[in-house]
Amino acid sequence: MTSPHLCRPWEHAWSRRRFLGTAATAAAVVGSGGLGSGGSSLNGNGSAGLGPWLNPAIAGQVEQKRKQVVFIWLDGGMSQLESWDPKPGTLFGGPFRAIPTSVPGVHVSELLPKSARQMHHLAVVRSICTKDNSHSAGVARIQRGDPKNRGVTYPYFGSAVANLLGPGPTNLPPYVWIKPGSGGFIHQDAGFLGPKFGALAFGDGKPPENMLRPEMLSDADDDERNALRAAANRRYANRRRPTVNDASSYVYDTARTLMKRQDLFDTSKFDPKDVERYGTHELGRHMLQARKMLEAGVTFVKVNSYGWDTHGDNFNGHLSLACRFDQPFAALIEDLAAREMLDHTLVIAMSEFGRTPRINGHVGRDHWPEAWSVAMAGCGLKRGAVIGETNDVGTWVKSREFDIGHLFHTWFRCLGIDSKKVEYDNKGQPLPLAHDDCEVIQEVIA
Amino acid sequence: MRRCSRLTDSLLAITLAVAACCCSLLATGTARAADLPLHQRIDTLIEARHQGPASELTTDAEFLRRASLDLLGRIPRADEVREFLADRSAEKRAQAIDRLLASPEHPARMADFLHVMLMERQGDAPEWRKYLADSVAANKPWDKMVRDMIHADPADESVRGAAFFFTKRLENYGQNPVDVPGMVRDVGRLFLGVDVQCAQCHDHLFVKDYTQDYYQGLFAFVGQAQIRRDLKFPALAEAPLKKKVEFTSVFVKEPRAIGPKLPGGKEFDVPEMKPDEQFQVPPDRKTNFPGVPRFSTLKLLAEQLPTAENRAFARNMVNRLWWFAMGRGLVHPLDLHHSENPPSHPELLDLLAAEFTAHHFDVRWLLGELTRTRAYQRSSRIPEGVAADSVPEDSYRTALEKPLSSEQWTASVAEAAGVAARERQSVEAWEKLRERFAKAFANPPKEPETEFAPSVKAALFLMNDPVVLGWFQPANGNLAERLAGIPESERAVDELYLAVLSRTPDADERLEAVQMLAKHADKRSAALGRLAWALLTSTEFSVNH
Repeated sequence: MTSPHLCRPWEHAWSRRRFLGTAATAAAVVGSGGLGSGGSSLNGNGSAGLGPWLNPAIAGQVEQKRKQVVFIWLDGGMSQLESWDPKPGTLFGGPFRAIPTSVPGVHVSELLPKSARQMHHLAVVRSICTKDNSHSAGVARIQRGDPKNRGVTYPYFGSAVANLLGPGPTNLPPYVWIKPGSGGFIHQDAGFLGPKFGALAFGDGKPPENMLRPEMLSDADDDERNALRAAANRRYANRRRPTVNDASSYVYDTARTLMKRQDLFDTSKFDPKDVERYGTHELGRHMLQARKMLEAGVTFVKVNSYGWDTHGDNFNGHLSLACRFDQPFAALIEDLAAREMLDHTLVIAMSEFGRTPRINGHVGRDHWPEAWSVAMAGCGLKRGAVIGETNDVGTWVKSREFDIGHLFHTWFRCLGIDSKKVEYDNKGQPLPLAHDDCEVIQEVIA
Repeated sequence: MRRCSRLTDSLLAITLAVAACCCSLLATGTARAADLPLHQRIDTLIEARHQGPASELTTDAEFLRRASLDLLGRIPRADEVREFLADRSAEKRAQAIDRLLASPEHPARMADFLHVMLMERQGDAPEWRKYLADSVAANKPWDKMVRDMIHADPADESVRGAAFFFTKRLENYGQNPVDVPGMVRDVGRLFLGVDVQCAQCHDHLFVKDYTQDYYQGLFAFVGQAQIRRDLKFPALAEAPLKKKVEFTSVFVKEPRAIGPKLPGGKEFDVPEMKPDEQFQVPPDRKTNFPGVPRFSTLKLLAEQLPTAENRAFARNMVNRLWWFAMGRGLVHPLDLHHSENPPSHPELLDLLAAEFTAHHFDVRWLLGELTRTRAYQRSSRIPEGVAADSVPEDSYRTALEKPLSSEQWTASVAEAAGVAARERQSVEAWEKLRERFAKAFANPPKEPETEFAPSVKAALFLMNDPVVLGWFQPANGNLAERLAGIPESERAVDELYLAVLSRTPDADERLEAVQMLAKHADKRSAALGRLAWALLTSTEFSVNH
């Protein structure tokens, strides 16, 4: 038998029983009747301000300043012991030392020297305890917040935020994913919210094909042809289910907005000083691009780094990986703070799980969801805080355990959304934003 | 498990009896229900479950567009629309369906459809395409086609291309090794409507029916398949299955073993053979000939899977053909037939499966019946005065909008622009064109194309691709040139709507377009191009509504 990691739980999640006789894939209509708003229009067309997008039930809750998220995904599992929760000189501590940080008394691994100097901006939770120890299961489970199985596929956090906060006044795609490899529109991330809330992925940070308009077409002509298209769509929408026409119109609006922002992809125009600070390596370039995207007004930016699954040679592996994370992460935190963007930008750096304290026969560490760490910053989180602790050898959480559901409630709180009150409306089926049994980690809120 | 399926069977029997009762009541005084054509019996069952008003039937123009896209894989040409609208025959829709099904374009469309459904953009081979084209052209019954795909005789040139279904899946996928579990999964999904992937390492966590033997029993059938290296075309070799497949659940660490077994079916013994008895024709190292095992599990699978006795086989295909016509499966998602995900219309699924089986798995016949139903011919507009979200998708009171495949896009855009005949002159050039469109419109490999998923990539393609935009410059008798030759703007606009949207414009649309053209009187041709582009990129063009 090959491939023991075949099982993908988001495929498990298809309807155990069918709700209201509708497809599990059916798109939620933001702010439809279930939330008592009487159904706001979602034609996604030239949304001036947040109006047409914002879920009316939360409109009052979101503060003036637009909230944004940058989500750094360290795929495969960063070792907490070689990063945020070092245990030098203990049974499983490994060869690396702990170093002091800009917050007196707080130490992190010596593999994160630059991030250590930004510790006064960070909030690190060292008492994460989640359930899934396989990648295939963990990635989706963590990024979907592991809600109870409700017979529907939950959205990834990026799709959730895209749905709840919308693209903002710039009308740039609300959920952008900068990743190595190929790009495309990853509609599967959106789950029951419907395809339009999927991720627009920029493979290796490059723009999609066909971004340049042929020269024979003037601005005025282009505006005219698109206005005619919009008029045709308005007629078509009359007495039709809105989902298809909304999604179909939306991709054109997004495409047009992107075409106007070629600068976000032109790395040759990036400030050389920035390039040097973030690093010329892949993750460095992608993190710098993520900052540009945030500055341009993208609501949710995800950046992926692969290769953290260090079952063999964990220490050399982290020695080479950690510095490529440390450099751009520290630069990003520093820049967001300097631009006063950290107040309204939530920064999250995490994996699907941590790594075993026990060092295996291949000098590696395996999967360990039982006790690991997540680093966050900004957007109403405490600054320079460490929450929770593991035992002396790092095997188990000593303080209160926090599951992924706790983090989701916390993140929604940072974004000004009361995840205990606001619900998704999946065609009449009310669904909670995050796991019912979890709540906000109060200790980390400023 | 077993108890559960017996229970379901008896429930179904009761449902059937009740349904049969209702039908005979309805049909009192006329023919017995069973004598009525299938499409009427379908409508009776669908409409019996309507809870609220249904949409009116489509206009003739909408009907022709829908049926042409479904059965020919392209929008109708302007002259075809005109002819159909002018036809006064009361039977003209039924006649059109017969005409479309008999058209030489129909087999090509079905070959495209089957290719995308079965290969999910994993790859292509000329032998495979030829097999599909020939089979669909001959309307080869579905059971025979599946038998070919599972166990094609390499010596028989007319069927051997079918082996590509397995051989492609036995190749490395990029830098990844052969995905055997994925292949087992695809057999279950595509031929039986059960996705056994999550039952590989344990009983499925959420689907009670899918026990681990669903996966392992199928694996015992296909796990021995290998690519034949001694032949130049796709062909399968097979290692002998010497003993049962051994497995343990990751939850219950208890070793188990299973012989070949279809999901929910009976287990076959693995005959014990001495090493020198295992091959009917022994392998030959010199020629790389892999040998033919005496006990061939693929042959066994070919005998056991595509049969009337294996209920899942017919139920899966009728459900997929229902989805093909109606935009949603009676069981939905298509891969999840199990007792806790029942069909929206159980009695209808039973009826379709029984009739499909009785008609020797005749796909073309079933498509003819499905497209004759009122359910198929209803408008996609919600009934007047009814809220859109109060009409459930699986009620079929209102038609669902269906996504267009990349192949439908290519053919339809070329048809709309009036360049199809010219572009199709060279087979290679047309294939290149289809690849160009596929880059923008097709899903990545292994992603089923069953959902409507518009993409920014596709929008950018239609906005900026020089080839597509070039088609709307007047040249070589294309639409743009034809329109340039019509001096009266109203007539030009009517022609444009017929060519692109396969209907005539209403008064508002005509007026708006004429005014727009008047504004650009000095550059009328370019203005017509923009107008055509706007219709081409509208939602109305982008879906089969």
